[in-house]
Amino acid sequence: MEKKKLKHYLRETLSTLLPILAALVVGGFVILAIGENPITTYGVLLQKSLFTYSGLMKTLHYAGPLILTGLAIAVAFKANIYNMAVEGAAVLGGFSAAVVGFSLHGVSAPVHIFLCLLTGILAGVLYTAIPAFLKAYLNVDEMVVTLMLNYALVIVLQYFTEGGALKDPKAGYVSTYSVSPDAMFQKLFNSDLTPFFFISIIIFIFFWFVFKKSKLGYEITAMGNNPAFSEASGMNVRRKIILIMLISGALSGLAGGGFMLSEKYRYTLDFSGDPGLGWEGMLIALVGRKDPVGILIASIFFAALNTGSDYVDMFTNVPKNIVGVLQGIIILFVSFRAADAKFGISAKLRDKFGKSPKDAPAEGKAA
Amino acid sequence: MNVIETIGLTKEYPNCVANDHISIQVPQSEITAIVGENGAGKTTLMNMFYGMERPTSGVLKIEGREVRFNSPLDAIDCGLGMVHQHFKLVPSLTVFENIMLGTETRKAVKIGKRQVPTPFIDKKQEKEKIAELIRQYNLSLSPDDIVGSISIGAKQQVEILKMLYRNVNILIFDEPTAVLTPQEIEPFLQNLKNMKQQGKTIILITHKLQEVMEVSDQVIVIKRGKIIGSMPTAETSPAQLADMMVGRKVLLRVDKKYEDLSQKPVAYEVKNLSVTESSGKVLLDDVSFQIREGEVLGIAGVEGNGQSELVNVLTGMMRCTGGSVSLYDRDLTNYWPRELRKAGVAMIPEDRYIQGLCREMKVSENLIAGYHGNPEFCSHGFLRGKAVRENLRQQVEKYDIRIGGESSYVSELSGGNAQKIIIAREFSSDPKLLIASQPTRGVDVGSIEFIHKKILELSGQNKAVLIVSSELSEVMSLSDRILVMFKGKIIGEVPGKNADSGEIGLLMAGIAAAG
Repeated sequence: MEKKKLKHYLRETLSTLLPILAALVVGGFVILAIGENPITTYGVLLQKSLFTYSGLMKTLHYAGPLILTGLAIAVAFKANIYNMAVEGAAVLGGFSAAVVGFSLHGVSAPVHIFLCLLTGILAGVLYTAIPAFLKAYLNVDEMVVTLMLNYALVIVLQYFTEGGALKDPKAGYVSTYSVSPDAMFQKLFNSDLTPFFFISIIIFIFFWFVFKKSKLGYEITAMGNNPAFSEASGMNVRRKIILIMLISGALSGLAGGGFMLSEKYRYTLDFSGDPGLGWEGMLIALVGRKDPVGILIASIFFAALNTGSDYVDMFTNVPKNIVGVLQGIIILFVSFRAADAKFGISAKLRDKFGKSPKDAPAEGKAA
Repeated sequence: MNVIETIGLTKEYPNCVANDHISIQVPQSEITAIVGENGAGKTTLMNMFYGMERPTSGVLKIEGREVRFNSPLDAIDCGLGMVHQHFKLVPSLTVFENIMLGTETRKAVKIGKRQVPTPFIDKKQEKEKIAELIRQYNLSLSPDDIVGSISIGAKQQVEILKMLYRNVNILIFDEPTAVLTPQEIEPFLQNLKNMKQQGKTIILITHKLQEVMEVSDQVIVIKRGKIIGSMPTAETSPAQLADMMVGRKVLLRVDKKYEDLSQKPVAYEVKNLSVTESSGKVLLDDVSFQIREGEVLGIAGVEGNGQSELVNVLTGMMRCTGGSVSLYDRDLTNYWPRELRKAGVAMIPEDRYIQGLCREMKVSENLIAGYHGNPEFCSHGFLRGKAVRENLRQQVEKYDIRIGGESSYVSELSGGNAQKIIIAREFSSDPKLLIASQPTRGVDVGSIEFIHKKILELSGQNKAVLIVSSELSEVMSLSDRILVMFKGKIIGEVPGKNADSGEIGLLMAGIAAAG
């Protein structure tokens, strides 16, 4: 029994790592084409981001918001709700936290930080409430609404930042005022790390319990795997859809708010970076197979790619954009895995090329 | 002459044999009906005919030639067309545009003596062609109507025309009357006869025996992937067909004690229950019955006569448009599943892997589904792992569920063991009423006996039980009274003790007993 379990975990781990390894191999050819040695390049990438003190701290620092957006995506995707509003909610969360951060004065630092994060969370919740209610009550496809809403939001925030009362006239570029210093997280241990990372970890642990042990986690799994079953066992699917979307929005808002207070200190148009906190979170959730531990590992890995990319630029002739190439290839492989799970492509290929279904590994059947 | 002939046609899936050495002959210009219950293998067979599935082994001959289809296009090229149950039409286009889609006639320009085709569609000529076909087959369609605005019966005619226009000789109809209203069925059957007179060969898949009797020349009965009978329609009767479709030799008899229940209080009452779809189709028609304490009421009938809808309404998965349901003095009409469970209704759903269980979850998790919010399993939003595991141990022991280990998934279990999970879950809630739909479908003999015993035990504890099953023998061996459903109605009642399968068979075929 234990052996079987071990084998199961090994297979899971392998299938999680496979898209990444495959992407590294393909990326290796790209690096070869540039005329550099892939091994040294990857060596620099990983060594500088994971095996030096300052690099590791920087990686963990970047991993914080990614853990949260990864969870935000996973909680919705697990229930078969395709919430793409995570990106928008994170951006809005960051923006709102910044607004509270520079406009509020005369409160103590912890209270100020708390209020900023709370505003970020609320903004994420309100933002996600729009597609949530549309889906639950009018059966509007959440994927389309959330995807489009993100673009609308970016324009609205651009309006406030460029022309509105929130623009910092002293800044040399388009930006809001800076968050007042007492609302910013303090750097810890003489590194980039801030308390926000530990907040993310606490939330991560809490959601590990939610996914694995809670009634809600149970219902999310049931809804994702078999909607008819969850309805027949008496779950109010409509209410659950709203709840799950709002949780997803809250996590995203917190991610954005925390990113603002620990890294950005002012809202600029490129706040979310490239590809963006939410989109990276989606990649992380998919690579980590929507499993909390997988998400934690994937977050750190993707944060390491970000940290390492600067060093790659410094120490080799490979441009830092190689990280974008790697991410793109990972997306391709991960989507194949997802499509395969849904449409059984590899099984069909096996079927087509001679092997009869009988040869395929039989499902273990207990008496 | 036989247009279609199969020799030992077999289709195997990883877990089951859908078609087991099917050998049939379909004669030219006749209507052949293929009957059988859901899941008997009719659709798989037709999909092989139509190139949508490839046989594992066996030979398919069309007009004497052995063929191998890779796609429906190959089948159409061979003169074989299929009219699906769910139409594949473009609602915003007209009738003739839908028919010509993909084979449009293009306008030609005469240059010298040659006809040179242009990219423009010759609508006038298309319309004429379709009008001609409509006349030839005596259909009631106008080529210019927008498909989105015509009735379902007319849409079906468009589908038929699509095939006729492509010059097919053999037409396969998959449950053609399932979507039609009763008024549309008669003209449809007439159309079939017309087409037959014009020399077309027709295969009709159905489980409506009256239609089979009315139009077909030959009937083939399929059960569990095998041919169990093939005969000219004139030599059979609806009752015999119903028997062949659902009846099987009673494998085992549980010891049912028949008592006089007329003095017991009524536990469950269904009054004038009706469901009418927005299209006007009546799914349930004025169904009423009572179940007394300790009574097992069986509902028999050929599948597709409203039993599923009845169960769906009673278990909160579908809303009724009229009538009422009550348990003791409590009104349960249109209650949600969770409210029903709270009121003391236990439910065994028709399809265990759709509504009853979640394969991708653990056995222990499935055993608490629907009760997972109860305080014994859940406190402050978190599940009590210990209680869930303890519950698993108890139920596995009590209901003899054979699982691999404590973290086994439902997908690893056989059908019988999976069904026992549902039985264990529903019975342990100490219900006042059990609604069981197809409680032993696809379950091995040993588990059938066990499940039957448990159901009778429950009724022995003065609970009311409703059993809906298409296995006649199951209904007969468990029930105190048997109601037979036909076309959404209760067509008759038979006492369970010494029930006569012949009498029930007649009722199932829609022939109400005289007196």
